[in-house]
Amino acid sequence: MPDSLKLSSIAKWPWAVLTPVLLFVAVSILAPWITPYDPAAQDYSAVLQGFSQEHWLGTDYLGRDMFSRIIAGARVSLVAMSIVLAAALIIGVMVGSFAGYVGGRTELVLISLIDIILSLPSLVVALAFIGIIGPGYWSMIAALTMAWWANYARMSRAVVTSELHQPYIEAARVMGAGHLHIFCRHILPHVLALVVVYASADAGALVLAIATLSFLGLGVEPPTPEWGQMLVDGMNYLEQYPHLVILPGLALTLVVSSFNLLGEHFALKKVPKGLSKRRLGILKKRRAREEMNMLEQEAKA
Amino acid sequence: MFQLIARRTLLALAMILAASALTFALISAAPGNVAALIAERTAGPAASAELVQSIADDLGLNDPLPVRYGRWLLGSVNGNFGESLRTGKPIADEFAERAPVTGLLLLAGGAIAFTLSLIIGLLGAISNGGPLDKLLRAVSLVGASAPNFFVAALLVMLFSVTLGWLPAFAGSSAASWIMPSLTIALFPMSVLSRVVRVNLQEVMSRPFATTGFAMGYTRFGVLAREALPNIAVPYLTTFGAQFTLMIIGSIVVETVFALKGIGAFFIEAIRFRDFISMQATLLSFIVFFVFVNLLVDIICLLIDPRIRRQSNA
Repeated sequence: MPDSLKLSSIAKWPWAVLTPVLLFVAVSILAPWITPYDPAAQDYSAVLQGFSQEHWLGTDYLGRDMFSRIIAGARVSLVAMSIVLAAALIIGVMVGSFAGYVGGRTELVLISLIDIILSLPSLVVALAFIGIIGPGYWSMIAALTMAWWANYARMSRAVVTSELHQPYIEAARVMGAGHLHIFCRHILPHVLALVVVYASADAGALVLAIATLSFLGLGVEPPTPEWGQMLVDGMNYLEQYPHLVILPGLALTLVVSSFNLLGEHFALKKVPKGLSKRRLGILKKRRAREEMNMLEQEAKA
Repeated sequence: MFQLIARRTLLALAMILAASALTFALISAAPGNVAALIAERTAGPAASAELVQSIADDLGLNDPLPVRYGRWLLGSVNGNFGESLRTGKPIADEFAERAPVTGLLLLAGGAIAFTLSLIIGLLGAISNGGPLDKLLRAVSLVGASAPNFFVAALLVMLFSVTLGWLPAFAGSSAASWIMPSLTIALFPMSVLSRVVRVNLQEVMSRPFATTGFAMGYTRFGVLAREALPNIAVPYLTTFGAQFTLMIIGSIVVETVFALKGIGAFFIEAIRFRDFISMQATLLSFIVFFVFVNLLVDIICLLIDPRIRRQSNA
């Protein structure tokens, strides 16, 4: 076994990696049925309580049950994250594959656009979009999608370009297959295989981004329970009631680290040689540089 | 060599131009009339249509987009970023006031991340699979997953509320910078220590490391003499990326600790839909990102002859 695989003992226990993520998903889906209280119900006779039999994790400054709000917050995070991830995947795969398949000047323009977006940190791009379209839940979703699709587009394009010149594609073309058929039947599976694995590693970063935007008051709006925004609310009571900050923070950290673990696990197992997660960052950079060089040469020619 | 650096620099300039043009075009397309906003600020909500029109004419808002972009870029290069829609103050003055705050934060955070990540990565490699290695690995996983606003809150709880050692809000004292810098350093430190650890592992399996052992060097000796210089390029590349990512940390940390930096300015601009300030801040961010990446590229070129040869070919 190569040294690098031994390094990560999780590779041996897939269930240890999957369980926290599945738990998060299950809790999110079942949230409306398992919350003991309505997460939005205010109870002024029971504000800022500690842990008790009635309120397992206490109550916030409006007397809302913290346990219910944490669970409902999981659902809010999961839903927002899934929408963004799905939208970014679809747009990214479509644009990237189109660029790679068509080639020529169209590809050059699209790739430059993708490179510009990727030259900025995703959250800065998302913030800029929110600045343009205004804050709110759906603006947050749209802004994060705009920030996230480029990465998938670049990956899709890279896969398409490398597959396009394989002999089996030529064979299919000789046999009279149309562009759509070749793309959907022969190229798309390769694209999806890589992109979906990368997306699983990205889910954690997205949950974090949603929480950060909500923390800054630019994402999920107040009545809806969201961890980042619950944390801001709790900051005012940091001295006397630290649990209002610690609970949502802990929930966030747990969920993000379990997604990160899962991503690392996938990266070690499934991703083709030389693409394991530890190299993804470096490789992205290197690939960007190679693409730059290619662009330069194309420009010269 | 110089040719190579010159080419990279030109490319970086082209990147700045393209990215700033794109943001300018997008922000110009935003709903909301800048002239109307200014009229509202100066003359109250009942600003007349003529006033709006005259302001638009004064600012040249009716000119075609490329003309406006050219004028804005020329102004920015000369240090004139326009006036904030919110306060009416020149944005250049705001930058002059705020840039040192963010700069100090980034430098302190970067220095902490740089030092600690090397120490943690090396300790992990020395322990190599031992309990310390596992512990440090867990630390870097959690460190890369914990939201920085939560980290900030925990630090305040520990050092301000419980121990009372540090002030919760950043004032002028040097001690008030400790918590903000630690907060933004945690994420890059975690990612970088992982890069150090994993790359060391890989380098240690190469033949020259075996030769080192055969020559009688200790594990630490081989790590320090042979392995460390070999991971310089991947380390510096990731460091550059993480250093630029610290802008996000800085945005959050400045908000939490009430620091008056560029990040907080950006968030205020977004909240108040102050398009002029947003544009200026984004331009400064773009310049910063491209410049850091360029610097990393050049340093890698200088220290690693392999990359030079590859790029020349």
